[in-house]
Amino acid sequence: MRNVLVIYLKELREVLRDRRTLLFMFLMPTIIVPVLMNLVIGFTVHMEKKARTETLGYAIFGGEYLPKLREAFENEQGFETVSISSPNDIESAIASEKIKFAIVIPESAGRQLEDSNQVTIRLYYNDATVASRANIRAAKVIRAFGERLRAERLTKLGLESPRSQDNLLNPIALEEHGTANMREILGERLGGMLPYFFIIFSFMGAMYTAIDIGAGEKERGTLETLLLAPVPRWQIVLGKFLVLFTTGVTAALLCLTSVGLLLATKGKEITGTMQEVLQSISLTDFVLVGAMLVPTAAIFASLLLCISIYARSYREAGVYCGPLNMIVIIPAVIAMLPGIELNWMTAMVPVMNISLAIKELLKGTMDYLILAAILGSTFFVAGALLVFTTWWFGREAVLFRE
Amino acid sequence: MIEIKAIGKSFRRRGKKRKGRYEAEPAGSGPIIHALEEVTFIAENGMILGLLGPNGAGKTTLLRILSTALKPTMGTASFDGVDIIQSPLEVRRRIGFLSDNTGLYGRLTAREMIEYFGMLHGIKRRVIKDRVEELIGLLSMKEFIDKRNDTLSSGMKQKVSIARTLIHDPQIVMFDEPTTGLDVAAAEAILEFIESCKQQGKTVLFCTHHMHEVERLCDSVVMLRQGRLCFKGTPQQMLIQTGQARLDKAFLVFVDSGGQANA
Repeated sequence: MRNVLVIYLKELREVLRDRRTLLFMFLMPTIIVPVLMNLVIGFTVHMEKKARTETLGYAIFGGEYLPKLREAFENEQGFETVSISSPNDIESAIASEKIKFAIVIPESAGRQLEDSNQVTIRLYYNDATVASRANIRAAKVIRAFGERLRAERLTKLGLESPRSQDNLLNPIALEEHGTANMREILGERLGGMLPYFFIIFSFMGAMYTAIDIGAGEKERGTLETLLLAPVPRWQIVLGKFLVLFTTGVTAALLCLTSVGLLLATKGKEITGTMQEVLQSISLTDFVLVGAMLVPTAAIFASLLLCISIYARSYREAGVYCGPLNMIVIIPAVIAMLPGIELNWMTAMVPVMNISLAIKELLKGTMDYLILAAILGSTFFVAGALLVFTTWWFGREAVLFRE
Repeated sequence: MIEIKAIGKSFRRRGKKRKGRYEAEPAGSGPIIHALEEVTFIAENGMILGLLGPNGAGKTTLLRILSTALKPTMGTASFDGVDIIQSPLEVRRRIGFLSDNTGLYGRLTAREMIEYFGMLHGIKRRVIKDRVEELIGLLSMKEFIDKRNDTLSSGMKQKVSIARTLIHDPQIVMFDEPTTGLDVAAAEAILEFIESCKQQGKTVLFCTHHMHEVERLCDSVVMLRQGRLCFKGTPQQMLIQTGQARLDKAFLVFVDSGGQANA
């Protein structure tokens, strides 16, 4: 095993002197991912808050036909009337963000209400803006106005108490009780995205190193020299595999640690249920997530070494790693889809099972029997691939391809 | 002593045909190419044996088999009685191999690279340190020994390669076109080094296309043509057999006709 250590240490030394590898191994997972996550979270929160509290400019046409509704908008905080010459200009005014919404009340509104008929009020807003809450906030005012009118009409009909009015309008009351706790709900959302990052980094962290120590050795002409050293081929494979495993695991665990630290610090800023949720994700959960990433990195290390040693050049290896990248991403993405759950079937699909298991761990709903099975099967696949890599490395047709 | 006994190497070629002798293609598979066929010769201890032949004759394949990078499909070879098939690791301990396209690890220094191969040969750290110092003096590498390999000139790189080849002090050294692509000074350093190997009693197998190097260095030569041995003897005998006055002319006679057509 001395040779394995010698090869491992030499390869590691070269890795640590390579800027590209360092970028994927250290810089991306520790700085870029948390910064990106922080920006996305901060931006989302900011936009959400802004949509809820910003002052919305609006135009109202036909306000004189329903003065009480006009007053309701004037009295509501966060709304500001903007004058627009004609209803024909509504769309352009919304497009130019002069106003956020417009209300058009028909001329017959007053008469219709007196006759106890229904009045149709048109609300114009930009429905292409996902984060916009203009329609919700405007509809709330209109709905409240409508409810007041409804109550007045019911009172006229002799139903004076609010309770009897409610009994008439809602003969059946539905009381929904969601059994998922807040951690499950947030874990489903958060846990879908995070495994993707961890898995990608355990792959990307090893990819450039793999290309360098396989195809790169061939291209530089150092592989043949190494093969002539009095070292069995399996020891060369093991030394190289361990380096790829180290870089993959390091990148994935650094990503996990930085995300954990980010959530821990952000958790202090957040209050209420979200804080409780973040606090309920324990260190043990993070350690278990890390444990899932270890055999995953071993699988990627073997696969990448196989491909890299087959390729004749950096370029060829890069061409092969592209599709492999997709093979890695697709199972991780499938696990993000709604409706895909961890069960004994999905637990047997490599990579996808890891992604689903991490999601379950973050949700706090892990079946530990399945977790053990996933760990076992992933280690088995990693070991089988390592054996295959050793056999592959011994083939003349692979090492001396022309 | 290097003893090569009826070595042959065949493999299937996928894709377009290249150099070499092809056999009728069996149904459902690629053509079989015979890179080497029953090559037999001996190199005595302390001699420089030239390995000649045109491109595609099988020289590199033969050297790869002798260095145990490839396995022969027939026959075998031995170094001082140690068989390449039975004891490949032991063979590797006894040989040093240097070729024109031998690369270096660019992100290691020359010293780190030489020490790395010393450790892979199982040499103790202290012995490696002494040996490296000895090689630094021998090859005048003091000024660049601690510089990264990717910053060295081609001549410096070749010296590092030589030091790497010699770190375990092998008794048998094989060179595959070691002067190709080098300038005159670097090539001269290599040739002097090969001469010094002989002076130290090492056995040298020397593959080259340059006949002036053969004239200067080789005690004996073997020549391959289309994977088969077409000549073995001294350079002088090569001239006599072909009736030529110069080795490059004699070489061409063998390339064209296998040495059968005497002038």
